[in-house]
Amino acid sequence: MKRSLAAIFLLSLAILPAQAQRRQAPVGPPNPFWGNAQAVTDGEQIYNQHCTACHGVAGGSGEIGPAILSDTEGLRGQLSDGEIVDVTRAGVPGTVMPAWTGRLADDDILKIGAYLHSLRGTAIDNPLPGDVAHGQEIFFGKGQCSSCHMMNGKGALKGPDLTNIAAERKSPQIVDDLTKAQHKIYGDGGAHLRALPTMDTYDPVHIVLKTGKPLDGVLLNQDSYSVQMIGYDNELHLLDRADIKTVTKNPALMPTDYDKRLTKDEFTDLMAFLSRQGRKAPAAAPGRGAANPE
Amino acid sequence: MKKNKRTRFGSAMRGGKARLWGGLLLTAVAATGVGPSLAQDNPPAFPGKDWPMYGGSYNNQRYSLLKDVTVANAHQLQSKWIFHVDGITGLETVPVVMNGVMYVGGFNQVDALDARTGNIIWQFRRKPANGGHQRGAAVANNKVYITTDDGHVLALDARTGAQLWESKGGPKTTFTGGAPLVANGKVIVSGNRFSVASPGGFVQAYDAETGDYKWTWTALPAAGDPAANSWGGHAAGGGPIWLSGAYDPELKMVYYGTGQPNPQWNGKGRPGDNLYSDSEVALDVDTGKLKWYFQNTPHDTHDYDSTEIIMLIDTMFQGKPRKLAVQANRNGFFYILDRTNGQFLQGTKFVSRVDWGSLDPKTGKATPDPAHEPTVKGTTTCPSTAGATNWPSPAYNPVTGMFYVAASEGCGINTLASSVPDSETSYVESPDELNAWQIYTRALDLKTGATKWDYKQIRSNHYGPGMVTTAGGIVFSPEQFGQISVLDARSGRSLWHFNTGDLITASPITYSVNGKQFFAVASGTNIVTFGLPDKAPATEKKP
Repeated sequence: MKRSLAAIFLLSLAILPAQAQRRQAPVGPPNPFWGNAQAVTDGEQIYNQHCTACHGVAGGSGEIGPAILSDTEGLRGQLSDGEIVDVTRAGVPGTVMPAWTGRLADDDILKIGAYLHSLRGTAIDNPLPGDVAHGQEIFFGKGQCSSCHMMNGKGALKGPDLTNIAAERKSPQIVDDLTKAQHKIYGDGGAHLRALPTMDTYDPVHIVLKTGKPLDGVLLNQDSYSVQMIGYDNELHLLDRADIKTVTKNPALMPTDYDKRLTKDEFTDLMAFLSRQGRKAPAAAPGRGAANPE
Repeated sequence: MKKNKRTRFGSAMRGGKARLWGGLLLTAVAATGVGPSLAQDNPPAFPGKDWPMYGGSYNNQRYSLLKDVTVANAHQLQSKWIFHVDGITGLETVPVVMNGVMYVGGFNQVDALDARTGNIIWQFRRKPANGGHQRGAAVANNKVYITTDDGHVLALDARTGAQLWESKGGPKTTFTGGAPLVANGKVIVSGNRFSVASPGGFVQAYDAETGDYKWTWTALPAAGDPAANSWGGHAAGGGPIWLSGAYDPELKMVYYGTGQPNPQWNGKGRPGDNLYSDSEVALDVDTGKLKWYFQNTPHDTHDYDSTEIIMLIDTMFQGKPRKLAVQANRNGFFYILDRTNGQFLQGTKFVSRVDWGSLDPKTGKATPDPAHEPTVKGTTTCPSTAGATNWPSPAYNPVTGMFYVAASEGCGINTLASSVPDSETSYVESPDELNAWQIYTRALDLKTGATKWDYKQIRSNHYGPGMVTTAGGIVFSPEQFGQISVLDARSGRSLWHFNTGDLITASPITYSVNGKQFFAVASGTNIVTFGLPDKAPATEKKP
């Protein structure tokens, strides 16, 4: 076991410099088809014709080639979206991955790149079509979203802030959040966590203190000795278990029938609005700010 | 948790503009159904239960009114909780606390914690993760202010972490790791390279309610400023501004220290004083205009930044009640200025050897000693380039009248790569034992500058952490290699100690929740907190 670990370590040392060099290669112009809904649809079709046999449906898992979207085994995190296009064009010598330049028009390769980018990115990389201004009206009006959520400082505190939602979630996830019951993810199954997670379930609770005073709000965290919650009075309440008589969980506040509450157009426009709310993370991280007056 | 009172909202409505804002806020409240924005006009003169900014209060004295922990009971202190900050090592952040919530800030991120338990209340992460050394957030007006690595200030709702605004307008630049300072309705930040045309330090302000850009002051003089002639024709460079400033709400001035001129150790190509490098400066909080400056180290060739914390103290001095600006400077002198006008009042050595230059006793103007210019062969100079003190925050206890500072004894050797002007330079710690670096927690008599007592931080030799002092008569003084001591503020006697198991290079704070006093400091990758033991739990009757 020890020996094999050592071998892997040595192998990784051998590979690292090549990878580091590749990372430093100049990045070409950005793919002109990113975020173009039609090109993404075309790209999906081209991908399904030529790529699934090796890389699996939607880049998920490949029989022959590596998965493109898997966090642990595939290319995600190892190749940038631009580098995937480069590899698609030139192939990987010594493997079964052919050079697609000459086999496909370059626009088609770029469309595959736009499709994979939409799978890899979040909503803001691939926003949904619709009337954004009307969607904003729905958010703050008929949809009543802002009676629970904040957006750029406007709205309420019962649900998570949505200012950056399109940079945090993919468009299909946002659609599911608004249309499917049990849209919440309860934990990460058997994942080995690397840091303390926040409690992002936003469970509504009815708390009765030992003094008899009731408190209603949304749970932010709790442990065996304390409770942290945001009340419907918009105050943060930091409570000792010793002062609490009962904590009762209430049904989730988030409606999951927005496709029925709203007309088709209203829902489409709301999605167009939500899938554009956020800040695109820069392609390359700027340098770390120097800190010390050394 | 003590509830925010509407009366505090009322206090924000002084003056016409504030009234207008109050009106707008109320309108917004009616429209959105959110509770009142709980403005905090001016934080208390001294920190008590809250520690809302880097220095605890505008005067940077780091003197807390809390006195649960005293000389008599400090030996009972125990660790209360530990929080691991994900993604940043060698933390230099100073947590801030408001209404029982601790905010641990970094570039692009904040962790909001229950200050009693360390439980996460919310976390804010803006991509990309940075992990750089940033010294913390500020909390005011029911908002948490942080800086980003791409030159923005963000305001977050203090209750939920919802992003309220990203700063707008103004010249694009990047900030150093100094914590934001919120003063007179502005968020004030600083940096070390403003632009190609002005490649040096700057202080910048944004509107604290809206994020709109307000002003920039650059440490390198603008064209037309006579100070531009102090570089002997050489292009001005340097003057980085690393740390958070101080603020006098009556004088409406913010106080910042600027760093060294560039090139750093080689002054041959830049004859002159090289303004406004190595200076203490007072800026008009509303306009950013320079009100006065005092240059501690003219024509610096030893990297003696003046960026150390500037402390504001109101006291009798030289027979008169005065408003002082006090700084233990990296160059080894303890400066006392009149902060209304920048007049020099006193300058005394606070480390045993200072040989780089001398001060004019009347004006405080320093004359560097040519014998201590860096040379190709190497020149030994005291204090070293690491400084007689550096970024660790000092503390002042008005009861003892003592100024507590992490004083670093030791000299260094500065070397030029060649005799050509602007050539590369370097420095090393002086190799002989006599001049080896050693840090002390040093108590100075404010009035005379004399050392009242020393606590030797054995093995600590480099930068080290700052300290906090309290009405309980103690100095909470962490050390570089993870040891924390509580010292008797009068005598320096050690009352308690604790090993955190990791480096400490940030300054500690103290706060209280529900009447219980805590201390907290960043050590390595953790926030470590301390307090007195809880009372024994009441015996519960079984049913």
